[in-house]
Amino acid sequence: MNEFIIALGWTGLFAPMALGAIGSVIGCAVAGQAAIGAMVDTESGFGRYLGVSVMPSSQTIYGIVVMFSLQRDVTPETAPALFGIGLLSGLALLFSALYQGRACASAIHASKTKPEIFGLSLAPAAIVEGFAVFAFVFALVLAGGIPG
Amino acid sequence: MTHSDRYAMLLSALPYHGPLFGAKQTPLSRIRLNQRLALLDPVEADCLRHARRLLEWAQQEPDRTDAQAVVRAKQVIDGITNPFIRDLVTWRLEMRTLVAALRRRHRGESAPRDRRWGFGRWVGRIMQHWNEPAFGLERAFPWLPEAERLLGRGATVDLERLLLGAVWNHLESCSDGHYLDFEAVVIYVLRWDMIARWTTYDGEEAARRFDELVEQAMAGVEKSLRPPADALRTERP
Repeated sequence: MNEFIIALGWTGLFAPMALGAIGSVIGCAVAGQAAIGAMVDTESGFGRYLGVSVMPSSQTIYGIVVMFSLQRDVTPETAPALFGIGLLSGLALLFSALYQGRACASAIHASKTKPEIFGLSLAPAAIVEGFAVFAFVFALVLAGGIPG
Repeated sequence: MTHSDRYAMLLSALPYHGPLFGAKQTPLSRIRLNQRLALLDPVEADCLRHARRLLEWAQQEPDRTDAQAVVRAKQVIDGITNPFIRDLVTWRLEMRTLVAALRRRHRGESAPRDRRWGFGRWVGRIMQHWNEPAFGLERAFPWLPEAERLLGRGATVDLERLLLGAVWNHLESCSDGHYLDFEAVVIYVLRWDMIARWTTYDGEEAARRFDELVEQAMAGVEKSLRPPADALRTERP
């Protein structure tokens, strides 16, 4: 039984990093493809499109930081907390990156036609980023309370 | 990449088309559109091609009877594997059936006797309610009474505008929830076809063609009314 709990602890330890990276992969791929499509259709603003398309990569960085903040000896006492915080923060990072990618793709699509709304079109992606930051910060706060 | 995001690149490479009736030209040329559509999955590209062949007026065979056209439409629709396109094409053909019924009634024809004159689920109902205004379908198709009124007035341009507007709005409602997927591509292409059609309408060209047709018809009539030369010679004193 203890081995199983310890395995869950290790899963929780690596989950924020792994799930955040999966989300960033999908989000950046969706937004990146939209950026490439916009470059085909326009004559300028290429750097802007590429810049927006990498927004979902921040979730991987948050995941790495949460992982390091959780890092400690994995024992039957610490494993449940590591699993809970790690897995749930990882899921939050995964979905935020995924949907941020879609929001970025839509922003690229819209600002290609109407460059003057570029800033405003990023608002949904920025709000999604805000929720990822909530998950990140509170994972750090809770990680400080885990013994060991 | 999830199923619903896989055409992010293709859709971003298609320029915004704007409103239908404000358009002066298509947002991109037919050649460029076809180049971009080469990014589609072959099976989905086939579905789209079948749908366009069925819907574009330029691709219709004018010599085909209504019954033959209905049989052909059923065959093509059965071959379309994508349910979204199947529903869209069915809706468009049902709309054309309604307009065809309005035109028949406007010409003074009585209700058709067999069901092979039209397509879709409304054929029987139209036949049953032939003499009712808008065939009793004004709740399902709010544009029908107006179309009937415009047809009665002979306002063909306004009628065309109304019908294209109804299709445009239907596509708008179908586009809800489709942003980066195949369905969004289908809606874009069907709208491109509508813009292509609307922007190629030319009043002067239509008037010239109409005059040509009238001249051709009158030449035939004059020829048939003119007495043969031999008859004229024998009638002379």
